[in-house]
Amino acid sequence: MLVESYPISGQAVSDQVVSGGAAIRPEAGSPELRLVDATLRCISRWGVAKTTLDDVAREAGCSRATVYRVVPGGKEGLMELVARVEVGRFFAGIASRLERAEDLESLVVFGMAEAGRRIRTHAALRYLLAHEPEQIVPRLAFSHLDDVLAAASEFAEPWLVRWLSEPGEAAHAAEWITRLVLSYSICPADGMDIGDEQSVLGLVRTYVLPGLTASLQP
Amino acid sequence: MADHLFHPDDAERCTGECSVSARLPAHVRERILEATFVCVARYGLAKTTVEDAARQARLSRATVYRHFPGGREQLVAEVVAWEAGRFFARLASAVEGAASFPELVEDALVFAHQAVEEHEVLQKILQTEPERLTTQLTIESGRLLALVRGFLFPYLAGERLRPGVEPSDAADYVARMLLSCISSGGGWDLTDREQVRRLVRTELLAGVVAEM
Repeated sequence: MLVESYPISGQAVSDQVVSGGAAIRPEAGSPELRLVDATLRCISRWGVAKTTLDDVAREAGCSRATVYRVVPGGKEGLMELVARVEVGRFFAGIASRLERAEDLESLVVFGMAEAGRRIRTHAALRYLLAHEPEQIVPRLAFSHLDDVLAAASEFAEPWLVRWLSEPGEAAHAAEWITRLVLSYSICPADGMDIGDEQSVLGLVRTYVLPGLTASLQP
Repeated sequence: MADHLFHPDDAERCTGECSVSARLPAHVRERILEATFVCVARYGLAKTTVEDAARQARLSRATVYRHFPGGREQLVAEVVAWEAGRFFARLASAVEGAASFPELVEDALVFAHQAVEEHEVLQKILQTEPERLTTQLTIESGRLLALVRGFLFPYLAGERLRPGVEPSDAADYVARMLLSCISSGGGWDLTDREQVRRLVRTELLAGVVAEM
Protein backbone atom coordinates (compact mmCIF):
# COMPACT_ATOMS: atom_id res chain seq x y z
CA MET A 1 0.00 0.00 0.00
CA LEU A 2 1.87 3.05 -1.18
CA VAL A 3 0.71 6.39 0.03
CA GLU A 4 1.04 9.73 -1.73
CA SER A 5 3.93 11.78 -0.47
CA TYR A 6 3.53 15.20 1.06
CA PRO A 7 5.67 18.28 0.69
CA ILE A 8 6.28 18.45 4.44
CA SER A 9 8.59 15.71 5.52
CA GLY A 10 6.89 15.12 8.85
CA GLN A 11 3.67 14.48 7.05
CA ALA A 12 5.32 11.73 5.08
CA VAL A 13 6.31 10.02 8.33
CA SER A 14 2.84 9.89 9.68
CA ASP A 15 1.42 8.78 6.36
CA GLN A 16 3.80 5.91 6.21
CA VAL A 17 3.29 5.02 9.83
CA VAL A 18 -0.28 4.16 9.13
CA SER A 19 0.36 2.08 6.05
CA GLY A 20 1.42 -1.34 7.21
CA GLY A 21 1.88 -2.53 3.66
CA ALA A 22 4.71 -0.04 3.18
CA ALA A 23 6.74 -1.64 5.95
CA ILE A 24 10.31 -2.54 5.07
CA ARG A 25 13.04 -4.33 7.00
CA PRO A 26 16.62 -3.48 6.07
CA GLU A 27 19.31 -5.94 7.15
CA ALA A 28 20.72 -5.63 10.63
CA GLY A 29 23.89 -3.52 10.59
CA SER A 30 23.09 -2.01 7.19
CA PRO A 31 23.88 1.68 6.59
CA GLU A 32 20.15 2.34 6.15
CA LEU A 33 19.42 0.97 9.58
CA ARG A 34 22.22 3.01 11.15
CA LEU A 35 20.73 6.17 9.67
CA VAL A 36 17.23 5.21 10.76
CA ASP A 37 18.34 4.66 14.33
CA ALA A 38 20.32 7.91 14.33
CA THR A 39 17.24 9.77 13.04
CA LEU A 40 15.05 8.21 15.72
CA ARG A 41 17.48 9.40 18.40
CA CYS A 42 17.34 12.92 16.96
CA ILE A 43 13.53 12.90 16.81
CA SER A 44 13.23 11.70 20.38
CA ARG A 45 15.48 14.58 21.40
CA TRP A 46 14.04 17.53 19.46
CA GLY A 47 11.32 16.32 17.10
CA VAL A 48 10.92 16.09 13.33
CA ALA A 49 10.79 19.78 12.44
CA LYS A 50 14.14 20.62 14.06
CA THR A 51 16.05 17.53 12.93
CA THR A 52 18.40 18.28 10.04
CA LEU A 53 20.41 15.95 7.84
CA ASP A 54 23.55 17.32 9.50
CA ASP A 55 22.20 16.24 12.89
CA VAL A 56 21.52 12.77 11.55
CA ALA A 57 24.96 12.50 9.92
CA ARG A 58 26.64 13.58 13.14
CA GLU A 59 24.56 11.19 15.20
CA ALA A 60 25.32 8.31 12.83
CA GLY A 61 29.01 9.22 12.68
CA CYS A 62 29.07 9.67 8.93
CA SER A 63 29.18 12.53 6.42
CA ARG A 64 26.23 14.40 5.02
CA ALA A 65 27.21 13.04 1.59
CA THR A 66 26.84 9.50 2.91
CA VAL A 67 23.34 10.27 4.13
CA TYR A 68 22.43 11.49 0.64
CA ARG A 69 24.01 8.45 -0.98
CA VAL A 70 22.34 5.89 1.29
CA VAL A 71 18.92 7.54 1.41
CA PRO A 72 17.87 9.47 -1.66
CA GLY A 73 15.24 12.14 -1.33
CA GLY A 74 16.77 14.31 1.41
CA LYS A 75 15.00 14.76 4.71
CA GLU A 76 11.67 13.71 3.32
CA GLY A 77 13.11 10.48 1.95
CA LEU A 78 14.83 9.82 5.25
CA MET A 79 11.68 10.38 7.30
CA GLU A 80 9.77 8.11 4.97
CA LEU A 81 12.40 5.39 5.39
CA VAL A 82 12.26 5.82 9.18
CA ALA A 83 8.49 5.44 9.20
CA ARG A 84 8.55 2.36 6.99
CA VAL A 85 11.26 0.69 9.05
CA GLU A 86 9.43 1.47 12.28
CA VAL A 87 6.15 0.08 10.94
CA GLY A 88 8.08 -3.05 9.93
CA ARG A 89 9.61 -3.37 13.40
CA PHE A 90 6.25 -2.74 15.03
CA PHE A 91 4.45 -5.48 13.15
CA ALA A 92 7.41 -7.89 13.29
CA GLY A 93 7.57 -7.44 17.08
CA ILE A 94 3.87 -8.14 17.43
CA ALA A 95 4.09 -11.14 15.10
CA SER A 96 6.83 -12.76 17.15
CA ARG A 97 4.71 -12.38 20.28
CA LEU A 98 1.63 -13.78 18.51
CA GLU A 99 3.51 -16.92 17.54
CA ARG A 100 3.31 -18.00 21.15
CA ALA A 101 -0.47 -17.57 21.42
CA GLU A 102 -2.35 -20.80 22.02
CA ASP A 103 -5.95 -19.68 21.84
CA LEU A 104 -8.10 -16.72 20.83
CA GLU A 105 -7.81 -15.09 24.25
CA SER A 106 -4.02 -15.15 24.37
CA LEU A 107 -3.82 -14.06 20.73
CA VAL A 108 -5.90 -10.95 21.41
CA VAL A 109 -4.20 -10.18 24.71
CA PHE A 110 -0.66 -10.64 23.36
CA GLY A 111 -1.41 -8.53 20.29
CA MET A 112 -2.99 -5.65 22.20
CA ALA A 113 -0.42 -5.55 24.98
CA GLU A 114 2.55 -5.83 22.61
CA ALA A 115 1.17 -3.06 20.39
CA GLY A 116 0.38 -0.92 23.43
CA ARG A 117 3.81 -1.50 24.96
CA ARG A 118 5.57 -0.65 21.71
CA ILE A 119 3.58 2.57 21.30
CA ARG A 120 4.11 3.60 24.91
CA THR A 121 7.84 2.95 25.00
CA HIS A 122 8.76 4.29 21.55
CA ALA A 123 10.85 7.33 22.44
CA ALA A 124 10.47 9.16 19.11
CA LEU A 125 6.72 8.50 18.98
CA ARG A 126 6.36 9.70 22.55
CA TYR A 127 8.18 12.90 21.70
CA LEU A 128 5.91 13.50 18.71
CA LEU A 129 2.72 12.83 20.65
CA ALA A 130 3.83 15.16 23.42
CA HIS A 131 5.44 18.00 21.45
CA GLU A 132 4.58 17.71 17.76
CA PRO A 133 1.17 16.06 17.74
CA GLU A 134 0.42 17.73 14.40
CA GLN A 135 3.02 15.39 12.85
CA ILE A 136 1.15 12.27 13.83
CA VAL A 137 -2.34 12.78 15.18
CA PRO A 138 -4.14 13.90 12.00
CA ARG A 139 -3.22 10.54 10.52
CA LEU A 140 -5.10 8.72 13.26
CA ALA A 141 -8.51 10.32 12.90
CA PHE A 142 -11.50 10.44 10.58
CA SER A 143 -10.76 9.18 7.04
CA HIS A 144 -7.13 8.50 8.00
CA LEU A 145 -8.28 6.26 10.84
CA ASP A 146 -9.82 4.17 8.06
CA ASP A 147 -6.31 3.64 6.66
CA VAL A 148 -4.88 2.70 10.04
CA LEU A 149 -7.70 0.25 10.66
CA ALA A 150 -7.22 -1.24 7.20
CA ALA A 151 -3.46 -1.69 7.72
CA ALA A 152 -3.94 -3.25 11.15
CA SER A 153 -6.65 -5.46 9.78
CA GLU A 154 -4.44 -6.60 6.92
CA PHE A 155 -1.77 -7.57 9.43
CA ALA A 156 -3.96 -9.23 12.06
CA GLU A 157 -6.60 -10.96 9.97
CA PRO A 158 -4.43 -14.01 9.07
CA TRP A 159 -3.77 -14.57 12.78
CA LEU A 160 -7.38 -14.24 13.82
CA VAL A 161 -8.99 -16.18 11.01
CA ARG A 162 -8.02 -19.48 12.60
CA TRP A 163 -10.51 -18.81 15.37
CA LEU A 164 -12.89 -16.44 13.63
CA SER A 165 -13.87 -17.99 10.36
CA GLU A 166 -17.15 -16.28 9.53
CA PRO A 167 -16.66 -14.00 6.49
CA GLY A 168 -15.41 -10.60 7.60
CA GLU A 169 -15.27 -11.57 11.24
CA ALA A 170 -11.48 -11.64 11.62
CA ALA A 171 -11.14 -8.30 9.83
CA HIS A 172 -13.73 -6.67 12.09
CA ALA A 173 -12.04 -8.13 15.16
CA ALA A 174 -8.67 -6.76 14.04
CA GLU A 175 -10.16 -3.28 13.67
CA TRP A 176 -11.87 -3.54 17.03
CA ILE A 177 -8.60 -4.40 18.76
CA THR A 178 -6.85 -1.56 16.94
CA ARG A 179 -9.48 0.94 18.09
CA LEU A 180 -8.89 -0.10 21.68
CA VAL A 181 -5.10 0.05 21.44
CA LEU A 182 -5.29 3.56 19.94
CA SER A 183 -7.87 4.81 22.40
CA TYR A 184 -6.01 3.61 25.50
CA SER A 185 -2.65 4.76 24.09
CA ILE A 186 -3.76 8.28 23.24
CA CYS A 187 -6.07 8.73 26.21
CA PRO A 188 -4.98 6.41 29.04
CA ALA A 189 -7.53 5.16 31.56
CA ASP A 190 -7.02 4.98 35.31
CA GLY A 191 -5.97 1.54 36.41
CA MET A 192 -5.58 0.25 32.89
CA ASP A 193 -2.15 -0.20 31.30
CA ILE A 194 -2.57 -1.03 27.63
CA GLY A 195 1.04 -2.26 27.51
CA ASP A 196 0.55 -4.77 30.34
CA GLU A 197 -0.81 -8.24 29.60
CA GLN A 198 -2.51 -8.68 32.98
CA SER A 199 -4.25 -5.36 32.63
CA VAL A 200 -5.28 -6.07 29.03
CA LEU A 201 -6.50 -9.54 30.01
CA GLY A 202 -9.17 -8.03 32.26
CA LEU A 203 -10.37 -5.74 29.48
CA VAL A 204 -10.40 -8.52 26.90
CA ARG A 205 -12.24 -11.01 29.14
CA THR A 206 -14.87 -8.48 30.13
CA TYR A 207 -15.59 -6.61 26.92
CA VAL A 208 -13.99 -8.31 23.92
CA LEU A 209 -14.32 -12.08 24.24
CA PRO A 210 -18.09 -12.06 24.84
CA GLY A 211 -18.53 -10.28 21.50
CA LEU A 212 -16.01 -12.46 19.69
CA THR A 213 -17.23 -15.78 20.98
CA ALA A 214 -20.89 -15.00 20.44
CA SER A 215 -20.44 -16.35 16.93
CA LEU A 216 -18.53 -19.43 18.15
CA GLN A 217 -21.60 -20.65 20.03
CA PRO A 218 -23.55 -23.33 18.19
CA MET B 1 -26.96 24.30 26.73
CA ALA B 2 -26.30 25.84 30.08
CA ASP B 3 -24.07 22.95 31.11
CA HIS B 4 -21.51 23.97 28.54
CA LEU B 5 -21.32 27.55 29.66
CA PHE B 6 -19.47 26.58 32.74
CA HIS B 7 -18.27 23.03 32.66
CA PRO B 8 -16.84 21.70 35.95
CA ASP B 9 -13.72 20.68 34.05
CA ASP B 10 -13.09 24.33 33.19
CA ALA B 11 -12.62 25.14 36.84
CA GLU B 12 -10.01 22.41 37.20
CA ARG B 13 -8.11 23.54 34.14
CA CYS B 14 -8.20 27.19 35.07
CA THR B 15 -5.57 28.93 37.09
CA GLY B 16 -4.89 32.54 37.98
CA GLU B 17 -6.55 34.99 35.62
CA CYS B 18 -8.69 32.27 34.17
CA SER B 19 -10.65 31.82 37.39
CA VAL B 20 -11.58 35.48 37.10
CA SER B 21 -12.92 34.94 33.59
CA ALA B 22 -15.05 32.06 34.84
CA ARG B 23 -16.97 34.60 36.94
CA LEU B 24 -17.64 36.88 33.99
CA PRO B 25 -21.16 36.84 32.51
CA ALA B 26 -21.68 33.50 30.80
CA HIS B 27 -23.93 34.88 28.07
CA VAL B 28 -21.11 37.14 26.85
CA ARG B 29 -18.75 34.20 26.74
CA GLU B 30 -21.34 32.24 24.75
CA ARG B 31 -21.80 35.18 22.38
CA ILE B 32 -18.05 35.34 21.76
CA LEU B 33 -17.84 31.61 21.09
CA GLU B 34 -20.79 31.76 18.69
CA ALA B 35 -19.11 34.61 16.85
CA THR B 36 -15.79 32.76 16.79
CA PHE B 37 -17.52 29.74 15.31
CA VAL B 38 -18.91 31.90 12.50
CA CYS B 39 -15.41 33.26 11.84
CA VAL B 40 -13.85 29.80 11.85
CA ALA B 41 -16.45 28.65 9.33
CA ARG B 42 -15.49 31.60 7.15
CA TYR B 43 -11.70 31.90 7.56
CA GLY B 44 -10.58 28.61 9.14
CA LEU B 45 -8.81 27.98 12.44
CA ALA B 46 -5.43 29.45 11.53
CA LYS B 47 -6.71 32.77 10.20
CA THR B 48 -9.39 33.60 12.75
CA THR B 49 -8.19 36.44 14.96
CA VAL B 50 -9.42 38.06 18.15
CA GLU B 51 -10.35 41.12 16.06
CA ASP B 52 -12.54 38.98 13.78
CA ALA B 53 -14.35 37.42 16.72
CA ALA B 54 -14.81 40.78 18.44
CA ARG B 55 -16.19 42.39 15.28
CA GLN B 56 -18.54 39.47 14.63
CA ALA B 57 -19.75 39.54 18.25
CA ARG B 58 -20.04 43.36 18.21
CA LEU B 59 -17.85 43.55 21.28
CA SER B 60 -14.54 45.24 21.96
CA ARG B 61 -11.26 43.36 21.73
CA ALA B 62 -10.75 44.12 25.41
CA THR B 63 -13.95 42.28 26.28
CA VAL B 64 -12.88 39.25 24.29
CA TYR B 65 -9.51 39.28 26.04
CA ARG B 66 -11.20 39.56 29.41
CA HIS B 67 -13.05 36.31 28.70
CA PHE B 68 -10.18 34.66 26.86
CA PRO B 69 -6.95 36.02 28.33
CA GLY B 70 -5.01 33.52 26.22
CA GLY B 71 -6.17 35.42 23.11
CA ARG B 72 -6.35 33.76 19.72
CA GLU B 73 -4.90 30.42 20.81
CA GLN B 74 -7.33 30.05 23.68
CA LEU B 75 -10.27 31.23 21.61
CA VAL B 76 -9.60 28.70 18.86
CA ALA B 77 -9.00 25.88 21.34
CA GLU B 78 -12.18 26.67 23.22
CA VAL B 79 -14.36 27.05 20.16
CA VAL B 80 -13.43 23.50 19.12
CA ALA B 81 -14.36 22.22 22.58
CA TRP B 82 -17.53 24.32 22.54
CA GLU B 83 -18.72 22.99 19.19
CA ALA B 84 -17.85 19.43 20.24
CA GLY B 85 -20.02 20.02 23.32
CA ARG B 86 -22.87 21.28 21.13
CA PHE B 87 -22.42 18.28 18.83
CA PHE B 88 -22.85 15.84 21.70
CA ALA B 89 -25.79 17.80 23.09
CA ARG B 90 -27.52 17.45 19.71
CA LEU B 91 -26.62 13.77 19.74
CA ALA B 92 -28.08 13.31 23.23
CA SER B 93 -31.39 14.86 22.26
CA ALA B 94 -31.53 12.94 18.96
CA VAL B 95 -31.47 9.58 20.74
CA GLU B 96 -33.84 10.41 23.58
CA GLY B 97 -36.74 8.42 22.15
CA ALA B 98 -34.95 5.07 21.78
CA ALA B 99 -36.89 2.07 23.08
CA SER B 100 -33.93 0.32 24.73
CA PHE B 101 -30.31 1.02 25.61
CA PRO B 102 -28.89 -1.02 22.70
CA GLU B 103 -31.19 0.86 20.34
CA LEU B 104 -30.10 4.13 21.85
CA VAL B 105 -26.47 3.28 21.13
CA GLU B 106 -27.39 2.28 17.57
CA ASP B 107 -29.29 5.54 17.08
CA ALA B 108 -26.36 7.49 18.49
CA LEU B 109 -23.93 5.90 16.08
CA VAL B 110 -26.14 6.42 13.04
CA PHE B 111 -26.90 10.00 14.01
CA ALA B 112 -23.30 10.89 14.86
CA HIS B 113 -21.87 9.36 11.72
CA GLN B 114 -24.32 11.28 9.56
CA ALA B 115 -23.85 14.46 11.55
CA VAL B 116 -20.07 14.29 11.08
CA GLU B 117 -20.48 13.74 7.35
CA GLU B 118 -22.92 16.64 7.08
CA HIS B 119 -21.10 19.01 9.42
CA GLU B 120 -19.98 21.59 6.88
CA VAL B 121 -17.50 23.44 9.07
CA LEU B 122 -15.94 20.21 10.34
CA GLN B 123 -15.60 18.79 6.83
CA LYS B 124 -14.18 22.02 5.48
CA ILE B 125 -11.55 22.17 8.21
CA LEU B 126 -10.73 18.48 7.84
CA GLN B 127 -9.90 19.29 4.23
CA THR B 128 -7.98 22.48 4.79
CA GLU B 129 -6.48 22.28 8.30
CA PRO B 130 -6.63 18.65 9.45
CA GLU B 131 -3.53 18.97 11.62
CA ARG B 132 -4.91 21.84 13.71
CA LEU B 133 -8.33 20.34 14.18
CA THR B 134 -7.38 16.77 14.97
CA THR B 135 -4.59 17.88 17.26
CA GLN B 136 -7.06 20.07 19.13
CA LEU B 137 -9.61 17.26 19.30
CA THR B 138 -6.95 14.91 20.64
CA ILE B 139 -5.96 17.41 23.30
CA GLU B 140 -9.65 17.59 24.13
CA SER B 141 -10.11 13.82 23.86
CA GLY B 142 -10.06 13.38 27.63
CA ARG B 143 -12.89 15.88 27.95
CA LEU B 144 -14.84 14.40 25.04
CA LEU B 145 -14.49 10.98 26.60
CA ALA B 146 -15.76 12.35 29.92
CA LEU B 147 -18.68 13.97 28.13
CA VAL B 148 -19.78 10.76 26.40
CA ARG B 149 -19.11 8.72 29.55
CA GLY B 150 -21.29 11.11 31.54
CA PHE B 151 -24.05 10.77 28.98
CA LEU B 152 -23.93 6.94 28.99
CA PHE B 153 -23.55 6.38 32.73
CA PRO B 154 -27.17 6.96 33.84
CA TYR B 155 -28.44 4.58 31.17
CA LEU B 156 -25.92 1.90 32.15
CA ALA B 157 -26.72 2.36 35.83
CA GLY B 158 -30.32 1.51 34.99
CA GLU B 159 -29.49 -1.53 32.81
CA ARG B 160 -29.03 -5.11 33.91
CA LEU B 161 -25.34 -5.64 33.21
CA ARG B 162 -23.33 -8.82 32.88
CA PRO B 163 -21.91 -10.20 36.13
CA GLY B 164 -18.90 -8.23 37.36
CA VAL B 165 -19.45 -5.25 35.02
CA GLU B 166 -19.53 -1.88 36.76
CA PRO B 167 -21.58 0.91 35.13
CA SER B 168 -18.73 3.42 35.35
CA ASP B 169 -16.16 1.08 33.75
CA ALA B 170 -18.68 0.08 31.10
CA ALA B 171 -19.45 3.73 30.36
CA ASP B 172 -15.75 4.36 29.77
CA TYR B 173 -15.40 1.36 27.48
CA VAL B 174 -18.53 2.11 25.43
CA ALA B 175 -17.59 5.80 25.19
CA ARG B 176 -14.17 4.91 23.74
CA MET B 177 -15.71 2.60 21.16
CA LEU B 178 -18.39 5.13 20.27
CA LEU B 179 -15.86 7.94 19.75
CA SER B 180 -13.63 5.70 17.64
CA CYS B 181 -16.55 4.52 15.50
CA ILE B 182 -17.83 8.09 15.07
CA SER B 183 -14.39 9.10 13.82
CA SER B 184 -14.25 6.19 11.37
CA GLY B 185 -16.54 3.27 10.64
CA GLY B 186 -13.67 1.21 9.24
CA GLY B 187 -15.10 -1.96 7.71
CA TRP B 188 -18.61 -1.18 8.97
CA ASP B 189 -21.09 0.77 6.86
CA LEU B 190 -22.66 3.09 9.40
CA THR B 191 -25.46 4.07 7.04
CA ASP B 192 -26.67 0.46 7.04
CA ARG B 193 -28.95 -0.04 10.03
CA GLU B 194 -28.41 -3.82 10.08
CA GLN B 195 -24.62 -3.47 10.20
CA VAL B 196 -24.85 -0.87 12.95
CA ARG B 197 -27.07 -3.26 14.90
CA ARG B 198 -24.47 -6.02 14.61
CA LEU B 199 -21.59 -3.71 15.49
CA VAL B 200 -23.35 -2.40 18.59
CA ARG B 201 -24.49 -5.83 19.76
CA THR B 202 -21.06 -7.40 19.39
CA GLU B 203 -18.21 -4.92 19.82
CA LEU B 204 -19.90 -2.27 21.93
CA LEU B 205 -22.34 -4.11 24.17
CA ALA B 206 -21.84 -7.90 24.08
CA GLY B 207 -19.63 -7.71 27.16
CA VAL B 208 -21.73 -5.07 28.87
CA VAL B 209 -25.46 -5.69 28.80
CA ALA B 210 -26.87 -8.91 30.31
CA GLU B 211 -29.66 -9.39 27.80
CA MET B 212 -30.33 -7.81 24.41
